[in-house]
Order: sequence, then structure tokens, then C-alpha cells
Amino acid sequence: MTPKEGEEFPWWLVILGVVGLWLFYQVWVSEIYSQVMRSLVAGIEVTVAVTLIAYGMACAMGLGLALAGMSRFGVLRQAARLWIEVIRGVPIMVLLLYVAFVLSPALVWAWNRVGGGLGLAPVSSRDFPLIARAVMALTLAYSAFLAEVFRAGLQAVDKGQIEAAMSLGLSGWQRFRHIVFPQALRMILPPLGNDFVAMVKDSSLVSILGVADITQLGKVMAAGNFRYFETYNMVALLYLVMTIGLSIGLRRVERRLRMREK
Amino acid sequence: MKIASVLAGLAFVAFGTGAMADALPDMAGKEITIVTENAYPPLQFMDKDGKAVGWEYDMVAEMAKRLNMKVKYANISWDAMIPAVSEGQFDMGMTGITITDKRKAKVDFSDPYMRSESVMMVRGAESRFADAKSFGADAKLLIGAQAGTTPFYTAVYDVLDGKEDNPRIKLFETFGASVEALKAGDVDTVLTDKTAGAGYVAASNGKLKLVGEALGSEDFGFIFPKGSAFEAPINAAIADLKADGTLEALNKKWFLDYKMN
Repeated sequence: MTPKEGEEFPWWLVILGVVGLWLFYQVWVSEIYSQVMRSLVAGIEVTVAVTLIAYGMACAMGLGLALAGMSRFGVLRQAARLWIEVIRGVPIMVLLLYVAFVLSPALVWAWNRVGGGLGLAPVSSRDFPLIARAVMALTLAYSAFLAEVFRAGLQAVDKGQIEAAMSLGLSGWQRFRHIVFPQALRMILPPLGNDFVAMVKDSSLVSILGVADITQLGKVMAAGNFRYFETYNMVALLYLVMTIGLSIGLRRVERRLRMREK
Repeated sequence: MKIASVLAGLAFVAFGTGAMADALPDMAGKEITIVTENAYPPLQFMDKDGKAVGWEYDMVAEMAKRLNMKVKYANISWDAMIPAVSEGQFDMGMTGITITDKRKAKVDFSDPYMRSESVMMVRGAESRFADAKSFGADAKLLIGAQAGTTPFYTAVYDVLDGKEDNPRIKLFETFGASVEALKAGDVDTVLTDKTAGAGYVAASNGKLKLVGEALGSEDFGFIFPKGSAFEAPINAAIADLKADGTLEALNKKWFLDYKMN
């Protein structure tokens, strides 16, 4: 019989921990590993910053889209649907290239066209660095995924409660703030967490624009030292530490939430 | 006799540098933003300490000194370089870019500062083919290249059958990755610059060798946004560096003397 989740001793984690510790030990004793590590460290900051900023903005945008999708107004509902379907249907890498080389120049052009008439200072495309374009692309991509997560959570709240809140005379905002959102949040926290972990991984796509995240520094490093084995071992390890660390933390939070419900 | 020739030499040097200094424009400390990927050794790459170094960095530093220019560097991937420079995000791009008419439609090129001849690099033990013709004839043999690069087009038109979707070409994102695939046996040859290839071979402990005749040559230039004000001064500096042997000295320093590993 297969044991229940959480009961079995996590041998997989032990194996991973041993391999991870061995690699970190190599950083300590081997010159090549320590060189690779020193070069990759600068990328950790970029990866974390790109992920956090893009995820934060995508959450805000996703929530807005979800609310628009459930709006009384047909125009808003259709606009939100259109956005979600289009963005979800395009691979993130394509979206990234599109935002960087089609949308951004178009935005700069439009800004100068409109802003010029209003007397604003013109901007050039160099005011719009590639890292900002990369963050923008990840934000747009995840806004669509997160909108669906939020929509599912908001719709799962019992209709009876909303009706009860209405009959108590709570306004639309009060119903959302005190009744719907707190309950939806508990339901959507696990999928939100999953998308956050996925974002850590997808942030590596920004390397295609040359943004100096862990992946790009690894690529550049390997191009110069020809030590693919050591370089990508460290790149993979750094991502694993982040993603598995996050997953374990998130599972803890979920378990605690479930306990509180009981 | 000796003294006379030394004096003559000194006079020539004094006259020569004097004339060149007059000819070069003074940029009055103007800043130029140059973008590169640091993934094309030995032109630009990360050394063991994670410092960006290479042939092109040395050349740019010398040009900046002679033109009285400040240099700011930015990084980008090769895929993004031509569009970004073309829309004016950076003043200049450098990464051993072959001057082609197609690219000239998007960006302006400097005068060439390096000539590169492609040769076939193979594993040290390779004996199934010895030139482009015998490679092309054996359908089992595979070639590694970066999409959209000149070696890619040389591979398509000079080595294979002129079809860009020929399954015998395996695409890699960086040149280094294609060399690694060659060593690992995933592909059987990689086209490389003759001089740079000699450096790879020397660093490989017999794992790599060069075979066959040179497969045509290509000229490298810096790229600028169309109509850039930096073109004329940079071209003047390139001519200056060529004339006084600085570029030759850089070739020796980076292609022959420098040890990659």
C-alpha cells in the first residue's frame, strides 16, 4: 500500500541534499567551481529581483483581470477574456521577444507621438532597458495565468455568503474585502505558490535578451571557460535550492492553513 | 650607421604619430555605449576571475584613448544585438560581426578591423573526411553552427547542399556549445575562424584539429545605428590602429600568446 503524503520519510530530499552539499563543498575546494560560483553570484540578485517584481506586478494585474472578467459590464468581461486568451496562447519566449522588439519600440514611438503634442520630453528606446522589457514580458505572461487562478478562487466562494452579506447591507467593496477575498485567498494560495516557483524557473528566459541573470552568466561563463560540466552543475543547483526551498516552505504554509480550517 | 638608422627610425616614429594624432578627431570626452555578449573568445569573454576581457576590449580601449572618448559597456545576447543597436538603444555593437549586405539594411558597419577565414575543426581522431567535399558527400556526418551566423551560411552553401533546413546542421546557441558538442561526438565538424581555431586546437590537448582548405573569408566590423555620428571617428581610429601595427600586436597577444585555460 502506498503511504499517505507526508508520512513517508523524504529520502529524495536527503539524496538531493547530499548532492547539493557535495557541490557546495566543491566550491570550497575546487578552483574551477569557486570561479563559477563567484561569477554566478551576481546573477542570483538579478534572478530574484526579476522574479519578485514581475510576480508582484502580475498578481496585481491578474487580480484586476479576474475582477474585470466577472464584471457586470460586458465590455470589461470580453476585454479581460481577449487578453487572457491571447497571452495564454503565446509561448513565453515568443512573448519576450515580441515585447522587447515589437511592443517596446511601438510604445516609445507612441509616447513620443502623444507626449510630443502634450509638450512632454521625448524618450528614446535606450530609456527602456532590456531588463525592464524582460520584466514587462514576464508580467504580461503571468497576468493571464494568475487571472485564471484568481477567477477560480473568487468563483469558488459560496454564493449564499455573498447573498447574506448583501442582505446585511455590505457594499460591493466591503463584500469583496471581508467576505470573498479572505476565503478565496486560502483556496488560491497553493496555485499562487506553484506559479511563483514556475516564475523562478521561467525568469531564466530573460537570458535570451542578455539580461545578466544566473542562466545568462552561466552561458557566458561556459563560453569562455569551456567547463560546461561544472558551470551548468552550479546553475542547476542554484535554481534547485530556490525552487525546492520555496516548495517546501509553501507546503508548510498550506499544511498550517489546512489545520486551521479543521 | 647603427645610430643613424635608430635616429631615422625615431624621426619616422615621431613624424608618424604626429601626423596620425593630427588626423584623428577629438571627441572631447564624449561617452559611447558599447554592447557585447562576452561569449566569443578570444574577441570578448569572461576570464577566470570573471572579468570581461579580449581582443576587442583592448582595441576599443586604444581607440577611446586616441579619440578622447569615454566607454560604457552593456551586455546583451547575440539574438538581441542587431535589433537593439538598430533601434538606437546602444551606440555600437561588437562581437566579431561579419559585414553583410543583409545586415547593412538594418545597421551601419564600421570599416573591417579583422579578416576571418573559416576552416573545419574536427575531433583529433577524425579520419572519415579531410575536406569540405568529402564531408558533404557522407550523409551520416553532422555539422554544428549558430543560427544566423556566417559559419552557418558557409555550412549551408559551401559544405552542404544549399538547403538551410538540412537536417545535417545542428544548431547551437553559442559557439562554445557547438565545440563542446563536437568534442562529445554530437556533431562531426564545426566551422571556425582559422586563427581562433588554432587557439582552440592548441588548448585541446590533441582532442581537436583543423582540416581542409579555408572556406572563404569574412570581414568583421562594429555595428552602429543608421547614420551614427560615431562612425567616422571610429573608422579613422581603425585605420590608425591598422597602420601602426596595433591590430597585428593584438592578434599575436590574443590568438597566439593567450592561453584560454
